[in-house]
Amino acid sequence: MAAPPPDPQFVLRGTSAAVHTLHFSCGGQEPDVPVLFSGSENGLIHVWNLKTHRVDKALDGHGRKSVCWVETMDGKDRLLSQGRDQKICLWDLAEGRASVTDSVFTENVGFCRCSLLKVAEGRWLMAMAAKALDEVQVLELPSKTSVCTLKPEAGAKLGMPMCLKLWQINCGSQPLLLAGYENGSVVLWNLSMGKVLSQLFCHQEPVMSLDFDSEKAKGISGSSERVLSIWSLNEQQNLQVHTTHRLVNSGISDITIRPDKKILATAGWDHRIRVFGWKKMKPLAVLDYHTATVHCVSFSDHKNPSERLLAAGSKDHRISIWSIYTQT
Amino acid sequence: MAVFDTPREAFGALRPACVRLTQAQTAENVALLRARLAAVGAAALQELQEYVLYPLRLALASPGPRRERLAQSAARGLAAVLGATRLRGPELLRELLAELCACLGTPPAPGPAPGPGPASEELKLAVVEALHALIHSADGDVILSLYRPPALHLLGFAVSLLLGLAERERARQVKISALKCLQALVLRCECCQHRQLREDEEQQCGDSFASFLPGVALALSRVITADIKQGHATTVAALRVFYQVVGLVMADEQLARIPENKEKPSGEQSEVSKLVVHRGPDWSKNTAEKLSLLLHKIVERSSVHSHWKVRLELVELVHHLVRNCRQSLVDSFTHLLKAVVGLVNDENSEVQSRCNEVLQHIAEQQLVAHNRALADVLSENLHSLATALPRLMNSQDDTGKFATLSLLLGYLKLLGPKVNIVLNSASHLHRLSKALMQVLELDVTDVKIVEDRRWGSGSGYEGSLQHGVQKGGCQKKYFRFFAEEKVFQLLQQVCRVLGYYGNLYLLVDHFLGLYSESAVYRKQAAMVLNELIAGAAGVGVDVLQEREVPLDRDDIKGAITSVLDEYTDQANWYLVTSIDAEEASHELSVNHSGLAALPGAACGSVLPPPDPRVTTRTMNSNIWQICIQLEGVGCFATVLGKEFRLLLLSALYPVLEKAGDKTLLISETAMGTLVDICEACSYDSVQCLINENSDYLVNGISLNLRHVAHRPHASQVLDTMLRHSDASLLPLVEDVIQDVLSTLDQSYNHQASTFLGVLHSLMAALDEVPPVAKLEPSNSDTEGETPLPSHAQLAKDVMGRCIHLLSDRSLRVRLKVLDVLELCVTVLHPHRNHLLPMAHRVWPALVTRLISDDPLAVLRAFKVLCTLAQKCGDFLRQRFSKDVLPKLTSSLLSQAPASARAGPVYSHTLAFKLQLAVLQGLGSLCEKLDMGESDLNKVADACLIYLSAKQPMKLQEAAQSVFLHLMHVDPDSTWLLLNEVCCPQLYEPPHASLQPVKLRGMGRPRNEFTDNVLLLLEKLQQQESRVLQAGTQEASPA
Repeated sequence: MAAPPPDPQFVLRGTSAAVHTLHFSCGGQEPDVPVLFSGSENGLIHVWNLKTHRVDKALDGHGRKSVCWVETMDGKDRLLSQGRDQKICLWDLAEGRASVTDSVFTENVGFCRCSLLKVAEGRWLMAMAAKALDEVQVLELPSKTSVCTLKPEAGAKLGMPMCLKLWQINCGSQPLLLAGYENGSVVLWNLSMGKVLSQLFCHQEPVMSLDFDSEKAKGISGSSERVLSIWSLNEQQNLQVHTTHRLVNSGISDITIRPDKKILATAGWDHRIRVFGWKKMKPLAVLDYHTATVHCVSFSDHKNPSERLLAAGSKDHRISIWSIYTQT
Repeated sequence: MAVFDTPREAFGALRPACVRLTQAQTAENVALLRARLAAVGAAALQELQEYVLYPLRLALASPGPRRERLAQSAARGLAAVLGATRLRGPELLRELLAELCACLGTPPAPGPAPGPGPASEELKLAVVEALHALIHSADGDVILSLYRPPALHLLGFAVSLLLGLAERERARQVKISALKCLQALVLRCECCQHRQLREDEEQQCGDSFASFLPGVALALSRVITADIKQGHATTVAALRVFYQVVGLVMADEQLARIPENKEKPSGEQSEVSKLVVHRGPDWSKNTAEKLSLLLHKIVERSSVHSHWKVRLELVELVHHLVRNCRQSLVDSFTHLLKAVVGLVNDENSEVQSRCNEVLQHIAEQQLVAHNRALADVLSENLHSLATALPRLMNSQDDTGKFATLSLLLGYLKLLGPKVNIVLNSASHLHRLSKALMQVLELDVTDVKIVEDRRWGSGSGYEGSLQHGVQKGGCQKKYFRFFAEEKVFQLLQQVCRVLGYYGNLYLLVDHFLGLYSESAVYRKQAAMVLNELIAGAAGVGVDVLQEREVPLDRDDIKGAITSVLDEYTDQANWYLVTSIDAEEASHELSVNHSGLAALPGAACGSVLPPPDPRVTTRTMNSNIWQICIQLEGVGCFATVLGKEFRLLLLSALYPVLEKAGDKTLLISETAMGTLVDICEACSYDSVQCLINENSDYLVNGISLNLRHVAHRPHASQVLDTMLRHSDASLLPLVEDVIQDVLSTLDQSYNHQASTFLGVLHSLMAALDEVPPVAKLEPSNSDTEGETPLPSHAQLAKDVMGRCIHLLSDRSLRVRLKVLDVLELCVTVLHPHRNHLLPMAHRVWPALVTRLISDDPLAVLRAFKVLCTLAQKCGDFLRQRFSKDVLPKLTSSLLSQAPASARAGPVYSHTLAFKLQLAVLQGLGSLCEKLDMGESDLNKVADACLIYLSAKQPMKLQEAAQSVFLHLMHVDPDSTWLLLNEVCCPQLYEPPHASLQPVKLRGMGRPRNEFTDNVLLLLEKLQQQESRVLQAGTQEASPA
């Protein structure tokens, strides 16, 4: 008899709204409890205690408008959240506080999630969709000074940016931005010159999500189509399609490569989470639990590999937690 | 009393008597002197001591034919004088001692072992008492002169004389006195007049007695182990002297001061000095070996002595020797500790408490902890006991077992922290654990354990367990090798003490190993694990000393987590405990459907068919296994207190699963565990526990529902949750109820029955939703557009499922569905716009139940119909009159002759119940549905025959009720109908032009209907006049 389908290790309930974004913060020392941040459609950010599997805190800072992105800055005490209220908030969560200490007004009405990159101690870059529909703006944090605005050439017709990924080859090198656009192309931007380095037209539909592995110089993107596109960046900084992977059902809302770059997970509109080997895109598992579109997937950063987890947030208001490290 | 207080007066009084006695030593003269003595004050006598003693000594020693009586009297006189005075001259002491001894035996010079002469008992007693008085009266320095080498032979003579008396004399009094005297001679007199001896003096005394030790010890051990006919007082006295002497000579303090080599004796003393023993290491080792043999014998005999004072004295012996000779006598400790450990549960409470004190003392002194040799002795004892334990448990009776286990416990307690020496030795641990495994074997032959099912498991959901839930605690277990509870309690203590002192990791690991090694050990190992952890946390453990290292909370948490994981592992948690009746009936029904004809298509059941080899014994064993594990969970909660809350994530769900188990013992135990958890984690009630952790439970249910075929318990957990909580739980579980419904949708065939249980509990809970909440939205006209409140929506969803299940193959399922359906109707009642369409959908299936199903189902279906009618009213009128009524009336009509003929047994038949239910319900049904005239006539016709006096009383009453309802609906036609049957009155027309009233019932002879009809007409009359009155009252003010 075949092994029964894998079960989530646990399911977090209680957001009472569709979950759009997840972010783990497990890096702290022992008495510090690993936590998972979730942002949901009702504008709340929940801080889940991963020991008790309960909500420690619910943060309300986006005027009940959907939260689409959460990210921490150095540990779980400083949190960035992006909401559909066109605001990006910086939260101070240290010592039981829960207050917004700073915020950025994006004036962007799209769905594009921000991207954060730590470039030096105490210095971050954040890429976000700007007020003009096709522009991306990069800010330095915490000073909030604008580093550059990336505006496509007049006739490019890229449409709105849909997903962003800031990265650098190694610490101290030039940060670059990968952006997926409405017209289905992935563009590599040079931040200092504000110029397009390469553009790859790899989807027929808007790019919903992408992730990039700077070590292998290889990235992956998904759209509403029934295909995943894997592309690579050559030494001339040119993006080219490496391979494509056909899916059973169409629609990918999120793609995340695990920090160790061995596997990746996709969040599917078919309610399923799929796990692949990153090297050869070998399908490893189909995690079937949710009863509605899965919106996001996230891997934990726990120090102890056996305690690392995969979390997926779905339209069905639930967050499923999977322990896939021990199995793969 | 003293008459003569000054020496002068005294002298005057005594002198004549003394003179006479000196001149003629006769008993009479002695008596005279003694009489005079009585009148002399102590101070005066002291002055005259030697003067008075002289004639007495003369008398004592005088030869002659009547010397016996004389000597006896003289000895008494001596005793009297000495008793009142102090002896100040060492010379005099020695002389007197020699003279007294000589009375009873030959002087010590030639023979080494002088025996008492053939003296009379009285003389012996008198002499011994005089000796006692003598030793007593000697001042410290004076008596000490006896213990110098020159006096050694004299001392020896006295000692051997006394020993001889103690051993061979027959008179009890003499024996005891001799022993007392001997005790005084060792300077351990019990009176407290004597000054404390200095160290060197003690040492000197010890040196002297060392020479006599072999003789003394041997003789005394013979006395101690002699026949009990000598009386317990003798034995007690001998024991006391024994340990005083041994304790003196073998005292560690003294031995430590003995130089390695014997001092060269200085010339003149050399002869005597040869007699003096040098208590060097060789000597002490040698002596200890011999003593060990004697002690062994003494312990063997005395520990089982029938008189408690002897046993008590034995405890004192141990105490004394352990205190003073812990190094010199270490080899004897095996016996000594065994004695005191074995007596700790003595039947006599004094012995018990003294034993405990002594053990406490031993532990407090950390004798064991600081003495490796002693620890070795104990662990050896333990090892051999553990080795013998299985055999002893097989052969002994409960008392014997109790004693053996007391011993085991005692050793462990004494070892205290050193118990790890034992545990670290693989062979020791192995022996010990195997012994425990064997002793704790349960008796699993009781069939009742398997047969006792939770009440209400068959059909009802009546059993809200909210009441009568008792505190956890252990289920009474039955063991193969013993019956008495106190034996089990000892074993519990054994495990707890192990847990308290032992290395928890090692122990848990070892016993978890046994747990998974074999099913034979599994229950015992789990029991041991539970107790180990309780002990480690110091819960209910009785120890003699604190452990060295305080408990590390993380260690115990770690241990608990791993044990808990093991317990709740699928392989250990889901055991076959019953050949489930429902499963069986399910398979049966599938078989009937004809599918069984295809051998390959195995009924579609995913559950493995119950293994026919599963015996009652196995199931009993499995039940106990689960109960012990449940008890463990409760125990762990108690141990961790509020910290257990963190473990609820994994532990609560499995416990709740078992709380819903059909086996009574399991569900009761699980309930106890829940109560334990409640207390430990400080929740106010089981309901709070469930509500506040509903997220964990919901998670478990939801995940398990995914594998409902393999893990059919998920719905049971929800069921249990609902039953132990109330409507406040609903918002918390709403999420998962949808999961249940969708799972049900996928598995109608297999799990319907289980799911229906949940649905019933759910609906029952919904029914309790406060009516305010229910009524809130019902007043709006636009209800169809506003969303239903969630609980009503749920009821609607459930009702939808019921429609499918109403035609299930299994009658049991159909009955359950009808129950659930009724509740759904009740819950959905305020939301008419939703209820009516549902009623419409339900109708066809319900009608089928009503007209062509098992009578049981018809009965329930009729109940549902009544409820539905109450809620839906005229909505059903047409359907009822078309689909159901003809069937009902015809069945009533056709059954009537049968019931009219029937005897008293009939009222127990289903047919009767059906008739009754229909008759009872039909009236109100007609009224509620506002039936039309022709239907009412049909009903009346069908019910009329039941007004017959031939029908069973209950049916008559029910039929009356129908007519009472009909009177409300249509009083006139009912009146007419009744009068057609029987008309008691003549109705005169008010005017001759009117035709006379002719009713068919007029003038009829009395028949079977008369009584009931008259009764009904009377009621109708009352009703009408009430209406009339009301009408006039209403009209009059106008």
